[in-house]
Amino acid sequence: MAMIAAEVEPTYLDNEHTIASWLLTKDHKRIAMMFLVSITVFFFIGGFAATLIRLHLATPEGLLQPSLYNRMFTMHGVIMVWFFLIPSIPTTLGNFLVPMMIGAHDLAFPRINLASWYVFNLSGLVLLYALIMGGVDTGWTFYTPYSTVYSNGYVFAAALAVFVNGFSSIMTALNFVVTIHRLRAPGMTWARLPLFIWGIYAVSVVMLLATPVLAMDTMLLGVERFIGVGMFDPRRGGDPILWQHMFWFYSHPAVYIMILPGMGLVSELIACYARRPIFGYAGMTIAMMAIAILSFFVWAHHMFVAGISVYSAIVFSLTTFFVAVPSAIKVFNWTVSLHKGAIIFDAPMLYALGFVLLFTIGGVTGLMLATLGVDVATHATYFVVAHFHYIMVGATVSAFFGGVHFWWPKMTGRLYPEMWARFAAILTFIGFNVTFFPQFILGNLGMPRRYYTYPPEWQSWNLLSSAGASILAVAYLLPLFYLGWSLVYGKRAGPNPWRATGLEWLTPSPPPKDNFERTPVVTVGPYAYDPETDQYVTQDGVSHA
Amino acid sequence: MPSATLRPETQYATLAQQGEVAQLGMWVFLATETLFFGALIFTYYLYRLSYPEAIAEAAKDAVLWCGSVNIGLLLTSSLTMVLAINAAAQGRRSAATGWLLMTIGLGLCFLGVKGYEYVADYSDHVVPAVNFALKPGESPVSELFWVYYFVATGLHAIHVTTGLGLLIYILWRLRRGRISAAYYAPIEVVGLYWSFVDTVWIFLYPTIYLAGRT
Amino acid sequence: MNIEAKEASSFPFVCAWLLLLILVGLSVLSAFQGLALWAAVIEFGIAAFQALIVFLLFMRLKGPPSLKWVFAGTGFFWLIFLYGLSMTDYATRTGWPTK
Repeated sequence: MAMIAAEVEPTYLDNEHTIASWLLTKDHKRIAMMFLVSITVFFFIGGFAATLIRLHLATPEGLLQPSLYNRMFTMHGVIMVWFFLIPSIPTTLGNFLVPMMIGAHDLAFPRINLASWYVFNLSGLVLLYALIMGGVDTGWTFYTPYSTVYSNGYVFAAALAVFVNGFSSIMTALNFVVTIHRLRAPGMTWARLPLFIWGIYAVSVVMLLATPVLAMDTMLLGVERFIGVGMFDPRRGGDPILWQHMFWFYSHPAVYIMILPGMGLVSELIACYARRPIFGYAGMTIAMMAIAILSFFVWAHHMFVAGISVYSAIVFSLTTFFVAVPSAIKVFNWTVSLHKGAIIFDAPMLYALGFVLLFTIGGVTGLMLATLGVDVATHATYFVVAHFHYIMVGATVSAFFGGVHFWWPKMTGRLYPEMWARFAAILTFIGFNVTFFPQFILGNLGMPRRYYTYPPEWQSWNLLSSAGASILAVAYLLPLFYLGWSLVYGKRAGPNPWRATGLEWLTPSPPPKDNFERTPVVTVGPYAYDPETDQYVTQDGVSHA
Repeated sequence: MPSATLRPETQYATLAQQGEVAQLGMWVFLATETLFFGALIFTYYLYRLSYPEAIAEAAKDAVLWCGSVNIGLLLTSSLTMVLAINAAAQGRRSAATGWLLMTIGLGLCFLGVKGYEYVADYSDHVVPAVNFALKPGESPVSELFWVYYFVATGLHAIHVTTGLGLLIYILWRLRRGRISAAYYAPIEVVGLYWSFVDTVWIFLYPTIYLAGRT
Repeated sequence: MNIEAKEASSFPFVCAWLLLLILVGLSVLSAFQGLALWAAVIEFGIAAFQALIVFLLFMRLKGPPSLKWVFAGTGFFWLIFLYGLSMTDYATRTGWPTK
């Protein structure tokens, strides 16, 4: 697959070398790489807080002062949710791949895309200011009236950071929606879009419709915190639970903001490494859009014991069960896609399989929590903590790492060392389960979340969890080293090292500045793999042996 | 001549496509704005339904004539804005400039009236946390109304100011010949934003100024 | 992009502007009829009608690309979920509103 044109045109990395050419770039690929750096930084800051939490909980006596412990879990939550998980896949892989997968030369609004990166970092700086000045102890949910009246942390700065961060989400999502609607290459119909694009589209819709409500909510919180009077103030007839309603109107869909791009991404990986088309493509797209829409109808299941009416709780419990249907469709389809495939257990596939397993465990325990009576007992215990970590960390972070490995040759032009990557993928899976499965048991025993201490008889499970966390830390740090190593010493990747079918694999690795020399014409759907003959057809209709 | 210098950006095939996509982008943004202000108005109606008398009592002190003059100013500015777009689309540059200037003038008048009203509110002791006193017959719920009032009108004023900035930018582009009959999407997009800010006031107006009348 | 130069007559816009001002007058009038919360309903209805006029004419919601309808409508449509599902709580919660 020697491409003559590749020698002529400079890649997006070599195009220009000045710092300004990066900081003022309009190229979606460079912006994606800049986001990758920012997000990695926040991932390790949030991870550092998590490390301290697990170290503290290794013994009942603990390590940190109670107030510092509160600040640590708050910072861990705020950073991981808004500064890593929500932007993770969309801003990095999404930014890099959306135009390439649909055959466009850039996103619709490159300047807004760049502005999104600046706004993201600005909000990050505001948050770091809050962190350095003394932190916040409310938990990432900022429940009123504690956050508005009693907390003595930097609630205003943290709320401001979340507010500003929302602009970044909206700018990125707006770009994706308009780009996917209007800049697809000829022949790239909706039914031929790769599932990753469907995932990004679904998540963008959720971001656009949910984030403004959170923005207004944090705005009102900031006002109340700043002037001492506000809309959630019960002394003036206000309803503190109103904060929770509007908060979860965003933050429950936010869980799907985290998982939907992962669902799309994993579909790409499974098809490529099983050398089979994804089973039930149409069902997969419908399921993703259904999840996006249903995610808005379930928010009060976070509030069953918060003081909402019991009738309302019944309604929300019921709607929560509905979300399980499209989620289960997806798991079935992934499983069937693997059946009779010629499975290659490379690192991205190991991450993808980890995603499916962990998502299933997280999803099934979600059904237990959706049950009204069960939730009253398990609410705010470690059972909930374990449940959402299985979805958000187990599934989403696995998908993110799998995606980074899969498209690493495309982004950098270099292959990563396969054995190290497989080792890291397996270590992630083991470390994750050792960390979080004991937390299901602890929750079942009744250990409440966010408490800085516990009775000594629970120490063995806590110790096991902390031991798992150290394995997980190694597994997350490893890629930093071998991926960094591969930047210099990695073997050069051809345009299509995985023999995949997407349009992004038609251009050289790394791609030239404008992605494609000529706008590609699409004639077939994605995933035209044949496990029998080992042939595959790229989306421009060319068959490869 | 000016249009000869305009080329679509790399990701677009034609200027027409670029203009259409810009317009769609603005509509997506306006959908998020709808939810942003919609959430605020939700808190208002929740409390108004929960405490109808108390909110009505508080809203008596809103300055009706200020809000009414302002809704007139904004509706008129939406008209002049659309006339500016039409003129630009037809390549009548000086007419477009005139209508734009008038739109900017009306926007400034709006902010002037708003500023006057804030001063009046201050002397009426209805500014929560700064200068607030319950009047006879009022309940503490009053303060909720006034928090809503300042958040809503403050945010709206920020939007008007942003719109004025955009209008001035468009005026500059128009004078530089970078908006023409061949490519007038920028003025159309800013017009969308401007009329949307007008629409927000249409919804805020009855919640603030008409709630306390009998 | 969307409007032909020939159809860009000012007349319909001036008419719409006049109609909008008349509607403001009606809205103010309804506020003084002692209708209590019903006035809020009428005023909200008038505001919605005014918004529709602004959207359709001043913001050119009619005309291509038709995708505009979807984007413009979704924002308002989604508010129904926020309002409606929240009200399942507020309408049935004991002890609300607090006195």
